[in-house]
Amino acid sequence: MNKMKNFKRRFSLSVPRTETIEESLTEFTEQFNQLNNHRNEDLAQGQLQLAQLGRDAGGDGSPVSPPEGQGQSPVAAVRYRNHGQRRFSTEDVSKRLSLPMDIRLPPEFLQKLQMESLELPKPLSRMSRRASLSDIGFGKLETYIKLDKLGEGTYATVFKGRSKLTENLVALKEIRLEHEEGAPCTAIREVSLLKNLKHANIVTLHDIIHTERSLTLVFEYLDNDLKQYLENCGNLMSVHNVKIFMFQLLRGLAYCHSRKILHRDLKPQNLLINERGELKLADFGLARAKSVPTKTYSNEVVTLWYRPPDVLLGSTEYSTPIDMWGVGCIHYEMVTGRPMFPGSTVKEELHLIFRLLGTPTEDTWPGITSNEEFKAYNFPQYRAQPLINHAPRLDSEGVDLLTNLLLYRAKGRISAEAALQHPYFRSLGERLHLLPDNASIFSLKEIQLQKDPGHRGSAFQHSARGKNRRQSIF
Amino acid sequence: AAWFALPACESEEAVVGRSQSHGQAAEKRQTFRWLGFCFGDGGPLSAQTTSPGRAGRGAREAGGDSFGGHRAAQISAQELQAFREYGESWYRSRKGLESRFQPREPLARQPQVTAEARCKLVSWLIPVHRHFGLSLEALCLAVNILDRFLATTPVAADCFQLLGVTALLIACKQVEVHPPSVKELLALCCDVFTRQQLRNLECIVLHRLDFDLAAPTVSFFLEHFSQVRLEARGADAGEAADARSLAAGVAELSLADYAFTKYAPSLLAASSLGLADRLLRHRSPLDLRVSGYPEELLRDCMDQLQLLVSLNRRSLSLLLPSEVAQKCPWLGVDR
Repeated sequence: MNKMKNFKRRFSLSVPRTETIEESLTEFTEQFNQLNNHRNEDLAQGQLQLAQLGRDAGGDGSPVSPPEGQGQSPVAAVRYRNHGQRRFSTEDVSKRLSLPMDIRLPPEFLQKLQMESLELPKPLSRMSRRASLSDIGFGKLETYIKLDKLGEGTYATVFKGRSKLTENLVALKEIRLEHEEGAPCTAIREVSLLKNLKHANIVTLHDIIHTERSLTLVFEYLDNDLKQYLENCGNLMSVHNVKIFMFQLLRGLAYCHSRKILHRDLKPQNLLINERGELKLADFGLARAKSVPTKTYSNEVVTLWYRPPDVLLGSTEYSTPIDMWGVGCIHYEMVTGRPMFPGSTVKEELHLIFRLLGTPTEDTWPGITSNEEFKAYNFPQYRAQPLINHAPRLDSEGVDLLTNLLLYRAKGRISAEAALQHPYFRSLGERLHLLPDNASIFSLKEIQLQKDPGHRGSAFQHSARGKNRRQSIF
Repeated sequence: AAWFALPACESEEAVVGRSQSHGQAAEKRQTFRWLGFCFGDGGPLSAQTTSPGRAGRGAREAGGDSFGGHRAAQISAQELQAFREYGESWYRSRKGLESRFQPREPLARQPQVTAEARCKLVSWLIPVHRHFGLSLEALCLAVNILDRFLATTPVAADCFQLLGVTALLIACKQVEVHPPSVKELLALCCDVFTRQQLRNLECIVLHRLDFDLAAPTVSFFLEHFSQVRLEARGADAGEAADARSLAAGVAELSLADYAFTKYAPSLLAASSLGLADRLLRHRSPLDLRVSGYPEELLRDCMDQLQLLVSLNRRSLSLLLPSEVAQKCPWLGVDR
């Protein structure tokens, strides 16, 4: 109780107060509950009033007087419905609201907008922009129809869905916020990172919906991921298609890396592919956890196959090269049709790596001989094997690129930006390098997928999809 | 402008966990109480008892982002290569985001939270972040989250501290390997808040800021300008490292002072480095033109920082690695 008094005193330095902290905190909780009930509407209008915590509960004439010069109300409700008429075209609306490019607003909806004669004032403030977005259905769960469940992960469940607004398919990733530690790191990272990434080779985040106990991310929907794609073509991809996929992977990654954003969890399941053959990076959530857990909450095994040896040996130096190792493993997997280092434990994973690429020495990995974890494992001394023997379908330039991706010395690995300029991609032409960020490489007529030699039936099979596809988005 | 001197904090040392002796610790806890928040007040909790060794471990692991005393000196040519590839584009992209993330007069519409209260809170967050071995990056982000939230929402004085730890938690979830646990954070507030309150406030803050959390920070720009300097011909790696350490200390101080919220992080970083070079009498100082700011602006910011430093010598000396503090006789602190 003394503590409380102290506390109250400390907090009352500048402002006279009458109620106790318990009262106001109870009020806070009530407030929060109320708030939750009208979250979507209210928050958009700037009415979160933590300030009421400081207001006298009974309202008995001892309100907190704000410091001098604070005459105006601290909360100004946002006004955006001014008078005046304005007609809307689809194009207009999507431009104002910076919706995804392909958005198609249903005609009924446009009519409704006009009937309400909603007016968007000239300089659209951020807050009112959000409010108007919410008017047309963004940020609202009702806007999306849930279809099949695509899978369940550690902290999220993913549904296929359809937007009533655009009739497009979407992927709905529902994230539970109720955890001991509050909102999961992965969710915070994924949303804050993805919001700033707009690129043809990165999955688009269309919308974010807050509900009482969860957060739903609305992504564009892609039918396939690389893992599925490989299975569908009997693990025998055309080497030309491998090159096209590699280029897109590196293109998306170079975009992220140039913005100081690492992916940290590249694997075939995280590379989504649509019918055109467009490849997009998904799942940006991986936290900076040092020790990689081997099992997730729902007892799924976390794959170690694409993790670089420096991370497996406990390095926390997180920089862009950690992603480049995984790119090498994926390259190899596409060419050969089998995972490169399918270890199930850290030790086995390292063992597989060293057996193929040679046990590291001071020459190949400066400083490794003084790494305690490495010493403790006491691996046999393997010699490096020529990669061409394991990936015979790869041309010499491909082998050179792969070699430069799979270097032990992290800082020596080729960067995504440099890899795009590698001679391996020369056969795709020069125009690829001039495309704007949001343009697909398939907008160039010279870029076309070939028929994969191993595929069964149609080029893109839609059948035979297990429940677990799209583990990606967890 | 009103200048708020940071409280002279013996306590910072206690929180950093340098001192082990029990007597000293007790004495320092008391100083801390003076800071306004019940750190170790009454209960069994103190900086020393929460998690022994945590600070040290965290500090090592956060090394990637933190300003260890002599890291810059050890950067090899190879490491610089990685920087060369992305350094400029990182800089351009961060710089481009700067104005979007800079809070504008965050206290202008606050009925209760004053600049003084903000100073107290941030002066408390500084030792707290050091206690957990968190990076300067995390601290900068936390202050950014705090300010931007304050710019949108009136906050009652009695949950201001809760907002501080919530901002710290969110920042850590973004950039730290080991974010502090909710329990540890609540304990630092003497358990006057509940887990549910913190989690609720976290949701509100995230929602309010619309998950826009990846703000460019002073810490990033300090790193960037220091790297640029190392690339220059005839660069002195020792001077670069010292300037960076001192500048990081100065920038940390400036976080607590409301008057500095008007400066963009890149301007603060360049000015802190410029001031550090001046104070350390370096022979090959950073060419401040790399920051792209006009000279008057840099000079104004540097003058303000110098005033801040002169008012907070004691606090600054505690923020610096000892080998750098020794090179600063003007701190007037016998270490």
